[in-house]
Amino acid sequence: MRTQEYIESGILETFVLGAASEQEVKELLFMKAEYPEVNEALQQLEKDIEKLARNLAVEPPSGTWYKIAQEINAVIPHQESSPQVFNRKNDRERPDTEKDKGDQYIEVEGSSSHMRLHKAWRWVFAGVFILGKIFLAFAIYFYLENKHTQQQIQELRTEIRELKNKK
Amino acid sequence: MLLGYIGDVVKNQAIAEQYLVAVFKDVPNELDELTNEDVNTFCHLQSMARKKLSEYFVSTAYQNNGKSENKPSICDNKYTQQMTHEQQLVFCGVHWYGKTITSLATELNQPEENIRKILKDCFTIIRSSN
Repeated sequence: MRTQEYIESGILETFVLGAASEQEVKELLFMKAEYPEVNEALQQLEKDIEKLARNLAVEPPSGTWYKIAQEINAVIPHQESSPQVFNRKNDRERPDTEKDKGDQYIEVEGSSSHMRLHKAWRWVFAGVFILGKIFLAFAIYFYLENKHTQQQIQELRTEIRELKNKK
Repeated sequence: MLLGYIGDVVKNQAIAEQYLVAVFKDVPNELDELTNEDVNTFCHLQSMARKKLSEYFVSTAYQNNGKSENKPSICDNKYTQQMTHEQQLVFCGVHWYGKTITSLATELNQPEENIRKILKDCFTIIRSSN
């Protein structure tokens, strides 16, 4: 019975429109957690507000998102809730006062000497390797072919010389 | 949706856009709340916008009080058109002019309970209209 009275009192509407006092907010959050019907009524009011806003919605100008993204991407000094600063080897040597400063930045340079590449590069490397092997095989083949031809020329010269001597 | 609300408050597209950017700039600090399943994202964003607009609300209220003729705090749209003049004063006063229940009670010379009831009736009108 008390919950129904509470819902009917108009406090939920006051809360949804952001006009509730601190005391009322505290009480409402307690009631919301304790009584599902209060939570349901609140959700319905939130839907009503969404309905109102949807009906009065305005298309943002094209550059608005760019402005928002720029603001968000701007370098923001670290706060307590931010991720911890990357621990370098010499981090221990730094004085505590420097560590505790709020205006530190995340260390983005990795300590690893390895490099990460896209998987597509494996086919490029395989192609280069196979082409290398083909060129090597051709080089050996032409070297042997050339050597053989030189030998034949040498033999022919010897034969010609012998024939000349016989005459 | 949020730009529409801010635009209705400040009545200036460029200023509304500045407020919108300021609200979204604070989104990274409110991620826990905004991603909470129990929290209505739009209502939370609107609440963030109201906090940003609080100074604007105070300044406009001051300006209106300083003038000899007090402009009635009414917004004209398909929902408020279905409300009585008193309901319009209460709903628009709270939603678009940032007035408190106490100040409206004083303005309309009624107890705060009545103001809350009027607000409730306004929501009933919004819910029942298409």
